Amino acid sequence: MLRRSLLVTLTAALALLLPSYARGEKIKVGFPIILSGGGALFGEPAMKGAQMYVEEINAAGGVLGRPIELIVRDTKGNADEAVRVARELILKDNVDFLVGTVTSAEGPAVSVVAKENKIVFIAPIPKTDQLTAPEKLHPYVFRVAANTTVEGRSAAEVVAKWNVKQIATIGPDYAYGQDVTRAFVSWIKKLKPGVEIVDQEWPKLGEADYTPFINAMMGKKPDAVFSCLWGGFFVTFAKQAKPLGLFEAVKLNVIAVGEAGSPETAKTMGSDYPFGIWGNSYDAFYWHPSPAHRDYAERLSKYLKDPYPSSWAIQGYTGMQFLVEAIKKAGSTDSEKVAKALLGLTIDTPIGRQTLREKDHQADRGQLYGKMTLDPAIGFAVMKPPTYIDPSRFMD
Amino acid sequence: MAARRRLARVPWGLLVAVAALFVPAIGSRFYTFVATDIAIMALFAVSLNLLLGYGGLVSFGHAAYFGIGAYACGILMKVHAVPFSVALPAAGLLAAVFAALFGFFCVRLTKIYFAMLTLAFAQIVWAVSFKWNSVTGGEQGMSDVPYPDLSGLAWVPGLAGYRTSDHFYVLTVGLVAACLWILRRVVRSPFGRLLTTIRENPERTEFIGVDVRRHELLAFIIAGLFAGIAGGLFGIFNRGVFPDFAYWPKSSDVLIMTILGGMGSFYGPAIGALILIILNQEITSYTEYWPFVLGILLITLLFLFPGGVVGALGGLVRRLERMRRA
Repeated sequence: MLRRSLLVTLTAALALLLPSYARGEKIKVGFPIILSGGGALFGEPAMKGAQMYVEEINAAGGVLGRPIELIVRDTKGNADEAVRVARELILKDNVDFLVGTVTSAEGPAVSVVAKENKIVFIAPIPKTDQLTAPEKLHPYVFRVAANTTVEGRSAAEVVAKWNVKQIATIGPDYAYGQDVTRAFVSWIKKLKPGVEIVDQEWPKLGEADYTPFINAMMGKKPDAVFSCLWGGFFVTFAKQAKPLGLFEAVKLNVIAVGEAGSPETAKTMGSDYPFGIWGNSYDAFYWHPSPAHRDYAERLSKYLKDPYPSSWAIQGYTGMQFLVEAIKKAGSTDSEKVAKALLGLTIDTPIGRQTLREKDHQADRGQLYGKMTLDPAIGFAVMKPPTYIDPSRFMD
Repeated sequence: MAARRRLARVPWGLLVAVAALFVPAIGSRFYTFVATDIAIMALFAVSLNLLLGYGGLVSFGHAAYFGIGAYACGILMKVHAVPFSVALPAAGLLAAVFAALFGFFCVRLTKIYFAMLTLAFAQIVWAVSFKWNSVTGGEQGMSDVPYPDLSGLAWVPGLAGYRTSDHFYVLTVGLVAACLWILRRVVRSPFGRLLTTIRENPERTEFIGVDVRRHELLAFIIAGLFAGIAGGLFGIFNRGVFPDFAYWPKSSDVLIMTILGGMGSFYGPAIGALILIILNQEITSYTEYWPFVLGILLITLLFLFPGGVVGALGGLVRRLERMRRA
């Protein structure tokens, strides 16, 4: 008994004394990402996408003749855990670069660590405008995800083509929901000055019962609805809105951003999906813009052993791709040189040509939008047709 | 017995604090990083133990004061550019004020009701920090809290070659040592003894004319004050303040540290903080199933060593003595 308690203490003490110091030939990339809890739905596939890219690059001889090692750590979706893990990756594992984080809290938090340690950090998923806002921007932070401005404005571009006048919005009451909704509202008013926002509902993040919000919204008689309830929240919302007749009341004039059109969400809902509404997604295995994307989707399907591979994998994949191309261009793994190489870098990704803009370190990343239609062959809704909305003309 | 008494006479706390000052001299930034984390969490855990171990009051919401301190210090330093020497005491004071407010209601209840009410107040603090976007930054928190200006420390011989994070570490060790010294004075004072008496038998203490609630409230305020200081330091160390600081898992973390180290001794919770942080550090680099490991650890501990690691070590020392005498 007593010996065991000593053992615990000794093991703990020893563990502290024996960190791995060796800095080998490998290029080490730290990948802090959510792997537990609800956020793992996005974190896990993004990590797999990065891993697939790394394995492919290493099989082809690596970069600058050196293999890449991906060191993955779970952030548990907490900003302070993400900071801890990121610093540990830098201080203990001696990583050369950081790619990762999911939430809008984690991204800016890790960005501070990257700035202080002068380590390039590429964010594949966080959307908050704050990450690359002028007062927070620094030479080492980059984003390959779409941001809230792009997402809100893209949705407005779609809705502007509809014959609707009175729009209601619903979104989770925290930074992401507020920012996307604000971007949507201001852009639709600019595109179609006659449009009126008749109602704005703000359920709390994680709300389980949307019925009162739906009833309040229907009371205002909108003819279109904008939603930015993401992931599982959209699933709950749609299941509750269907029996209340929300979708019929607005004649399916609903646009659901927050990746409500992703194959993952559509597959989860199956025949419960409100067919006929519009959704968005980062990627879709059934979208075929080019032979390169078809090839990527096939490789991913094999890698994940899933006939309907995830749409989030592309974010980890392009994040790593940008990093590797920048290392090649810089001819060095020095973060300062790589950061410079990333500025204005244009690369060919599976989803097409992408550029990291020099002025705000933001990729010109748009998303796919489309009318969600049941595909009887696979048994769930697909965007038909999936249309990539290029944001370059309305990013600023 | 003689050996124990001799051991007890060594000023262990002071020795450890002085030794801790030399951690940055090893030269690894990682060691300094871990040591800073441990020092701050040690203070947080010892402050909880004033309630838990000495007062017998189980608080499930100690993170509230940690969070209030962190936000107060962070907002003062980042938004209002208040110097650290003012911001940190202010953070502690604000936490103490809230502890007085919440404690006023909490000490009116006992046992599980007390615990639930502390949790309820902590959840309110969390909800406010999560929602109040304009002040706390909401869910995204407030990143980039500045380091205090410690250029003055560069004049101290031996510290010139240190980095900012090392300077902050030295400051942290100094402050934590001072806070622990005060807390130790508190538990050894007549007030501290009375607190222990209340823990053992509140009714009888009441009968001998002691105002139990007032003593408990005072303990609650002192614990909140030092938790607030720990929070203020942690916000700077963590390079940002987030609503998670006041969320219930933080309260349970510090509760686990206290129980793991042993709530029967003054430094037990600090040892608990040391062990938990190092184990977490090491185990999460191999597996994402840290909660699973932690669960097993806790079960083992609660069944085999209810006195925590320090309690078990104390038992070991006693047994060795008996063997020597035999």
